Amino acid sequence: MLLDDYLLNGLGLGAIYAFIALGYTMVYGIIRLINFAHGEVFMVGAYLGMFALRDLGLERLPLPQPWPVIVSIVTTLLLAGLGAGLLAVVIERLAYRPVRRAGRIAALLTAVGISLLLQNVMLRVFTATPRAGPVAREWYALDDLPEVAPNDLYVDRLLHLTDGSTAHDTEMVAAQGAALPPQTRERLAAEGEGGLYAKAEFSKREHQVFVLVLLCLFAPALWFLVKRTRMGKAMRAVSEDQDAARLMGIPIDRVVTATFFLGAFVAGVGGVVYSATYGKVEPMLGFLPGIKAFVAAVIGGIGSIPGALLGGLLLGVTEALLPLGLRALGWQEAFGWTDAIAFAFLILVLLVKPTGLLGVPFKEKV
Amino acid sequence: MDLPWLPLALTLGPTGLWWSHLLVTVGVYALLGLSLNLINGYGRMFSLGHHGFWALGAYAAALFTRSYEGELPGPVLLALSAFFGMGVAALGGLAIGIPCLRLKGDYLAVATLGFAEIVRISIQNLPEGLLGGNIGLSVPRVLMEVEPATRGTFLLAWCAILLACVAVVALLVRNVVRSARGRTLLAVAQDETAAGLLGINPTRAKVATFVLGSALAGLAGALYAHYQGTIAPQEFTFLEMVKMLLVVVLGGLGSISGCLVAAFLLIYIEQALQLAGQETLPLGVPPLPASWTWLAQWWSVVYALILVLLMVFRPRGIFGPRELPEVLRAWWRRRRPGEAAR
Repeated sequence: MLLDDYLLNGLGLGAIYAFIALGYTMVYGIIRLINFAHGEVFMVGAYLGMFALRDLGLERLPLPQPWPVIVSIVTTLLLAGLGAGLLAVVIERLAYRPVRRAGRIAALLTAVGISLLLQNVMLRVFTATPRAGPVAREWYALDDLPEVAPNDLYVDRLLHLTDGSTAHDTEMVAAQGAALPPQTRERLAAEGEGGLYAKAEFSKREHQVFVLVLLCLFAPALWFLVKRTRMGKAMRAVSEDQDAARLMGIPIDRVVTATFFLGAFVAGVGGVVYSATYGKVEPMLGFLPGIKAFVAAVIGGIGSIPGALLGGLLLGVTEALLPLGLRALGWQEAFGWTDAIAFAFLILVLLVKPTGLLGVPFKEKV
Repeated sequence: MDLPWLPLALTLGPTGLWWSHLLVTVGVYALLGLSLNLINGYGRMFSLGHHGFWALGAYAAALFTRSYEGELPGPVLLALSAFFGMGVAALGGLAIGIPCLRLKGDYLAVATLGFAEIVRISIQNLPEGLLGGNIGLSVPRVLMEVEPATRGTFLLAWCAILLACVAVVALLVRNVVRSARGRTLLAVAQDETAAGLLGINPTRAKVATFVLGSALAGLAGALYAHYQGTIAPQEFTFLEMVKMLLVVVLGGLGSISGCLVAAFLLIYIEQALQLAGQETLPLGVPPLPASWTWLAQWWSVVYALILVLLMVFRPRGIFGPRELPEVLRAWWRRRRPGEAAR
């Protein structure tokens, strides 16, 4: 049972890595740029998702129960994806395009700078304090609450602080499987708000299954896009030889923009699910997953979509199970070393197979 | 310990103290920039793990000093621990260089970044008795105790040490690049395949440079640790790496004097902004309105912005790979065109 949990943890984390790695792999495949800012796009996606879910109020749509949740989740993911995609397009236009021909070091440095810029702007604007993650909730009106609480029930109050800002305060009113005590119901009604709602949260486990399902939807879609559509064909042409592609009348800039948008869209969606699974949103959230997703993309073979998938899942499962195994062998502190293990894994893979598991070796031009 | 310049130190005053501290910090970043310039500028290898070697040198030197404290005279201990820090950082450079330098540009960047992360995570996770974990490690004062009365002497001594080290390292880098080995490195940097055809062993040239660069970063770490008195893993972050990159790129990849000027400018502006809005200022700091303090708070954003703008508009640095005298001469000629024609 324990092993089960760890495996699911690993797969869930691996799916997130795969979500980010898809964007890395597409961008690298087409313009040979490690988009260091990709992890930050992922983070911005998480913030967008949090605001969309919390402040749009779609969870309280007057529809029968599963629908508000479904509508709000779909809208949140779409908005976060679109926002992240737009951000990436702006970054590409303003920063990457001018340096595309200035050499790889200049491009990479620009990417590092953009990554740092986004991190620090978010740190300044939203501070380093973590906020609650965008967890989808089922809302019930106080009047038509089910007899038995389907999950832990909370009350959510909007507080207006003296400095003009607002904050949310939650109070648990009934545990899973219990009925709401009548006196609590009366007290809540007495607070004067007929529209007082209670919520039921999804568990971490459910989120992990959800992200795996999402990955099963997105990865084949991307693969189809790259392999079977006109735009995909143009992308592959640009990836092979930019100059020849331009001579064939392919609008390079538009293809690159589309690639950035697609990669960032997927990362934005991943960011929302990640911050929901681990329950917090903070400005540094994208840094480590971003680097590790790059590790995953390299392990799988950068430039290959199935490779990103394989690398992500492999890295996630390794990170979850290897420390467990090491602990079983008697190394008690193994869990603190998870990140170090991931990077050591990267260096090892680069040594043995520099093009990754499913990668095609790039030809060296003389 | 009585030093010959003790009377001078007593007359330093706040201005002298501020400038001494500034120069020491500039010295540390100049050392880091010079060593990174060797790898990224001259060698065209893209390392993003320089802060890892810096940390290695700092922790190794700190451990050395802690274990031999009191058994050796201060200056000897400082020199030995600096050498020890350099050695450990060089070993780290060798360990990461041999496998990774066969990788092409960006892969190398990620592998070295991964290495630096491993170093930081290791420091944080090893037992606290060994490296101090998250709390950090205190480094014994080997030259003198720091009290308010001797602070001036302490700062002046460190100023002298750092400036001497920077001068030696700058000369070393210049001579290395001009030597036969340096030329092979430049050839490899320009075209690895062609250099290989000329009978140069590219991997060897790259590894040697990488190890030398790491060792010099280790020296910067050792000096930094002894100057600060405490070190913690949170000081060796990716932001520091970006600062070093900025020093190298701002000054021009492959320019020694540019590196020194850039280190001075960056640290001076950073430290001067901290004083915005204050009444009493050290000499040489313009009085800035208090409203500028936001700039000091947003300084890390400004760093990133400078880096991006620099890359977009001047991808080869402000001066490019030229030394300061060349730049000045060219500027002089442009200002007085008649003279240049003669």
